[in-house]
Amino acid sequence: MSRAVMATPGRMRAGARALALALVLLPLAATAKPTPEKPAAPPPGPGALPPVPIRDLYYGDVLYYFYQDDYFDALLHLTAAQAANRIAHHGDDAELLLGGLYLSLGQHREAGQIFADVLARKDVPAPVRDRARFFLGKVWYQRGYFDKAVDALQSAGSAGLTPAMDAERQMLLAQSLMAEKNYAQAISVLDHWQVPGVWQAYAQFNLGVALVRNGQFDAGARLLDTLGRTESPNSEIAALRDKANLALGYAMLQTNRPLEARPVLERVRLQGPQSTRALLGVGWAASSVQQYRDALVPWLELHGRNLLDPAVQESYLAVPYAYSKLSANRQAVEAYEAAIHEFTVESARLDESIAAIRRGGLLDAVLRNDKPADSGWVWQLASLPDAPESRYLYHLLAQNEFQEGLKNYRGLLQMEGNLDGWASSVEAFDDMLATRRERLQAKLPEVLARLEGAEREPLQARRTKEESRVDAAGVADAGSPAASGTERERELWARIERMEAALASAEAHADGSADLDRLRERLRLVKGALYWQLSDAARARIGAGPAGPRDVLPGAPANVDPSSPVEATRVAPPVRTEDFAARVAALRPRIAAAHARLATLRQKQADYLGEVAIRELQAQKERLTTYVLQARYSIATIYDRAAVADESRSQAPPKAPAAAPEGTQ
Amino acid sequence: MAIPRMLTFLPRALAGCAALLLAVALSAGPVVAAEPAPAAPVAGAGGDFRSLDGEVQGLKKEVLDLNRDLFMLEEDLLFPANTQVAIFLSLDVGQFFQLDAVQVRLDNKQVANYLYTEREAAALIRGGVHRVYLGNLKTGKHELVAFFTGKGPHARDYKRGANLVFEKGVGAKYLELRISDRQSVQQPDFTVKEWE
Repeated sequence: MSRAVMATPGRMRAGARALALALVLLPLAATAKPTPEKPAAPPPGPGALPPVPIRDLYYGDVLYYFYQDDYFDALLHLTAAQAANRIAHHGDDAELLLGGLYLSLGQHREAGQIFADVLARKDVPAPVRDRARFFLGKVWYQRGYFDKAVDALQSAGSAGLTPAMDAERQMLLAQSLMAEKNYAQAISVLDHWQVPGVWQAYAQFNLGVALVRNGQFDAGARLLDTLGRTESPNSEIAALRDKANLALGYAMLQTNRPLEARPVLERVRLQGPQSTRALLGVGWAASSVQQYRDALVPWLELHGRNLLDPAVQESYLAVPYAYSKLSANRQAVEAYEAAIHEFTVESARLDESIAAIRRGGLLDAVLRNDKPADSGWVWQLASLPDAPESRYLYHLLAQNEFQEGLKNYRGLLQMEGNLDGWASSVEAFDDMLATRRERLQAKLPEVLARLEGAEREPLQARRTKEESRVDAAGVADAGSPAASGTERERELWARIERMEAALASAEAHADGSADLDRLRERLRLVKGALYWQLSDAARARIGAGPAGPRDVLPGAPANVDPSSPVEATRVAPPVRTEDFAARVAALRPRIAAAHARLATLRQKQADYLGEVAIRELQAQKERLTTYVLQARYSIATIYDRAAVADESRSQAPPKAPAAAPEGTQ
Repeated sequence: MAIPRMLTFLPRALAGCAALLLAVALSAGPVVAAEPAPAAPVAGAGGDFRSLDGEVQGLKKEVLDLNRDLFMLEEDLLFPANTQVAIFLSLDVGQFFQLDAVQVRLDNKQVANYLYTEREAAALIRGGVHRVYLGNLKTGKHELVAFFTGKGPHARDYKRGANLVFEKGVGAKYLELRISDRQSVQQPDFTVKEWE
């Protein structure tokens, strides 16, 4: 069965929304720590943990889009913020959020890889791990990757899941196992599973089906029978009860228990989605015990219902079959001819639909009323267009394969539109850079001229003065250490020199005086101290002067230090502009190439979906063709039988005519 | 699936059809309560589908990466890091103030005037941070003035301002307009915070 046939659009959307909201909770669970400075604003949802305190503004910026269900922009801002290292404080949160965003955009492979990387770390809390695996498993399941779904759902624990989520996890696990035809393991998951509320009914149903498919008919039948007799407090349980009765009834027909099957099938509601198949089955149950009159009642009820339904189609052959068994040959022939007419008309419509799909435009028609703003992968088609092929689209959309392919097609179409927008932007970037270049070329000579001319002279004069001062200091330094000192220092130096001369004279007249020795030593220390002071001051004065007059003289490359700030300022803008130009130039072919590949792949996806659609329609057509052949064969058989009977009558002695079955002639 | 014995007396086409219906009836099995769609085991997900799906996912990832590169180029080009100034708005709790709009003035010149939708306001309440303005400023002193309009306590019309004189250096400058609840006076509080 298909989800499109079974579910109402409103409820389908509710389901999609539930997934999106659940994904929202995923990153929030990443850091479940209280925030003393910022108490949680909204009360966390069921099973959700307190929100993450924002420590990087750009992480909050990502969440702003995320909370509006704008997953594409959230992903764009997140990846850009990560690349620019703007959300360093939210490393794991950001990675988990990234995985959730990829998941919400249908990129389950990317999401799976991210989750695997993040969840492999020991420091990831168990609740986060459980949730990530649960959502990943759910998406694998919905995309039909049941083996991967089993892996993810089996490895997810219950710690981070709400009771409802845990129940859903177990149910999805059981269903994935059943899809893999691993009924025994599915039974072990479902058996003795006590779950709250409506989940119990679903578990019972799935367990019953798994048991029947595993060859444990009686055990499965007991479960389905119990469920089929349940009081139905709401439409959901009523629908499930119908499905249980239908499955059990047909299983009984299959095992040749028509008398038991009939009351089971009669429990199915007359107007529910299972009603046509139930009516057909009731007819077969009656006819298999030769109660053809009883069989006609449900089969005739099917006439007038939607002929696209295979059960209704089959009833068009079943009714004349019952007539013929009742020897109501005229009604049988008429009914067969009516069936041939209906099948032929329907077959022609199918041809028309197949031709329309081959002409292309099927998907454009399907997506004509689409709302592009809905960027999530959980998108569902809200309504079908009024076109020749639309008549059968409900059946096509019933197929998971078609739905997933349609989502891919839609995603590719949206991305083409996205790149169209960027292509226009890149042209604007080019214009912008060209304008910058022009302005730079116009302004730069003027700036250089100013630096070269008017401002160079005072700088040169200042340089000459400073160099003279340094040189003078150097020359003076060669003559006397005090030359570069202050007046006081020069005076002190002169006094020391005078005292040295006086000491030398005194020593010449008095040998070996101890006082003279002490004086000489003290004078040596004083002179040394002053010398040190003078040298130090001289170094400081020279160092404080303009260290490199050349640094402020751009425009003279031979003399310019390339690392100077002015030189950098002169050179940087053109370099930056050319760097941008190079980035734009590198991105433009990427856009063009990606755009072309998107178009090619979209066409490939459309062709594939067209094939799926045509395959489905051709299967329907083949069935109708077979029915037509069968009806013609049956008519011929009836005529032959009548001819033989006439011949027998003509050879036999005349008798009174037998009474025709009541109500069949 | 085997054709039931009770149907074997039927014309072959009819019997085949009944067998098909039996298969359909039994395959109606798996259902998910949280997702009303029955989510039956699908016939698809075959090799062709997976191969094509893989191609689509790979290309979509490339386009997403390309989007990131273009987005970053655009920002670098229009708002270079040395002149960039970004103004964000955050809402903490929001019990005493329901934000409708914000007006931002830089050096007495209006640079942003943003009216919030219900959805956007809800995103702020849940912890999202809105980048109200992204622009360029010269280095030096600047003044930011923000006016917040909305509903205050007791659903009364409420308009308040906040300002900050800040120094724009060589790097990018981030400023946050914060709306928080001041429990002590049962009033909202409006502040501007400088981020390093």
